[in-house]
Amino acid sequence: MFIADLHLHSNFSDGSLAIPEIVDLYGARGFGAIAITDHLCESRTVLGKAAVYMNRSLTPAVFPLYMEILKSEAMRAWKQYKMVLIPGIEVTKSRRVANHHSARVLGLGIKEFVSADARIKDICTAIRAQGAIAVAGSTKRLWDRRNELRDSFDAWETTDGRKLMTDVMKSEFPKLATSGLHKPKHLNSWKTVFKCDRDPQAILHAIKTQDIAFTYYDEATNDIFEFVNVRDLGINGLNHPDRYRLDVGSLSLRSIKALRKKRAHHQTAGLDLEAAQRRRERDERESRELFPN
Amino acid sequence: MKENLESFFQIKYPRFELIFSVAEEKDPATALVRACMQKHPLVDAKLIVGAVQVGPNPKVNNLVQSYQGAKYDVMVISDSNVRVAPDYLERLVSEFDLGTGVVTGVVAGHAPQGVGGHLEATFLNTFYARWMVLSASLGWPTCVGKSMIFSRATMDRFGGIQNMGRYLAEDYMTGAAMQKLGLKVKIARDPIAQIIGRHRFEDFWNRHIRWGRIRKSQAPLALFFEPLCGSILSGALGAWAFKSLWGVHPLHFLTIHLGLWFICDALLMLVLKAELKIYTPGVWLARELLSIPHWLHILSGNTVNWRGNQLKLNAGGVLAEGGSK
Repeated sequence: MFIADLHLHSNFSDGSLAIPEIVDLYGARGFGAIAITDHLCESRTVLGKAAVYMNRSLTPAVFPLYMEILKSEAMRAWKQYKMVLIPGIEVTKSRRVANHHSARVLGLGIKEFVSADARIKDICTAIRAQGAIAVAGSTKRLWDRRNELRDSFDAWETTDGRKLMTDVMKSEFPKLATSGLHKPKHLNSWKTVFKCDRDPQAILHAIKTQDIAFTYYDEATNDIFEFVNVRDLGINGLNHPDRYRLDVGSLSLRSIKALRKKRAHHQTAGLDLEAAQRRRERDERESRELFPN
Repeated sequence: MKENLESFFQIKYPRFELIFSVAEEKDPATALVRACMQKHPLVDAKLIVGAVQVGPNPKVNNLVQSYQGAKYDVMVISDSNVRVAPDYLERLVSEFDLGTGVVTGVVAGHAPQGVGGHLEATFLNTFYARWMVLSASLGWPTCVGKSMIFSRATMDRFGGIQNMGRYLAEDYMTGAAMQKLGLKVKIARDPIAQIIGRHRFEDFWNRHIRWGRIRKSQAPLALFFEPLCGSILSGALGAWAFKSLWGVHPLHFLTIHLGLWFICDALLMLVLKAELKIYTPGVWLARELLSIPHWLHILSGNTVNWRGNQLKLNAGGVLAEGGSK
């Protein structure tokens, strides 16, 4: 069982870290898999062109270098940390600057360049044709068209960094929790827990079959090697590697309620007990809203 | 060229290997290299004839065999029109540390002959040197293939030199790839001495159309604003502003503006150890005046002429498949 973060940005687009730095950041913390998914913007729109001119987007010219670096870093990540590095892209279609006007499609396990100028459905088809999976980014523009695009995506992002997208969480759509990391400070965020082998194809398959769970990773309070995050989800006996008996499939999203309570409990260790009480009440209110039953 | 090649045999360094790469036997450099090797039998040197077609960039094709067959991990690529000092390697290696991907240098034009040669030297020693230092200080991946030191193990992390064969500016892309790996691109303290020799006017013009179009494909925004960094357009705008605001005669303003600009450029030439002659101000002014039509010519197309081939350049500096047309 391992924790993965499958939506990260490097300096090939608007991330602040180089790919080797991202590998070291996650590898040193015991993550089992990561996916680098740099922005790939449209070549015809003004915002897309601006992103290309400012080196904030992958282009057909730099894509071969991107893939070569991902390949060599995947080998190093495995050798040094036993961590899987999945090559990815985030196709970004922006009509206006505001986030809710943009549509983002994550391609995980890609091998070739995909044009962002095509329609969303065609982009998903192009991604899947490579044996990769298409994940809908957490944007309103895509969520508003969820019924029309239901079959185009293998999963829907249910988190936006630290924020949980309640609409997606409540829905029956397949889900994926990621951070969308641009800077190291974004490390504290929702992540996905896998119980499959540390293998790119097995990970992509687990997303498709939803054999996954979610956890909130917090650098300050958790030790990833002891799976404290997962214990917070209500699973016992995870502190000893030989006692991992976790049926991840049985982890329901309701466990997040327990996690939130636990987090509120952790926060009471601070000095401001009133604030902690307020936080706990807020968390319970949110939990009730999220899981009415 | 003989003196340039000979200078590499004079390098003093504990352990190194010289590899000369030529595409074909009939290349005039082949005989010169063999003569130098005979003259310096104690220098570990070899000549590799033959290009491996990995892409449309002929220089990269030429280097593939040498890259793969080199004895040591740390490599320096240099052109045959560069003349080096005996401590060249020592000084270059001293700036190449663990966090550095590549060390390159500012090109200084020496020994120009003919109209084109003088314009070329002036271009290199003023505008180009200024741009290199500026872009390096802004953190842009400025890298010149005339002299660059790197580790083969690092280069292999983005596919080796063969992965650069699709780009016309393989040097710039090498610098860019090093930066993507989180490594520094450094400019060496010593300028690289390029022996210009005799150039015709059209040689100068075509060469800088090529360089300009590479800049256009790699950094179109920077090229668009390039004339503002030259003396002519900025002088014209300044003259208009001073006339409108304070009634200063445009001719008076331009005289002072161009005079000060030339003094700064002359100081830069002295730093680069270039020869200043009595006619240098005239050549400098001609080069400055030519920069505007040159820039317009660069903007007007996407093809470049290199080693007799007409090549089409796509966005990002990628050469069109098929190469020459």
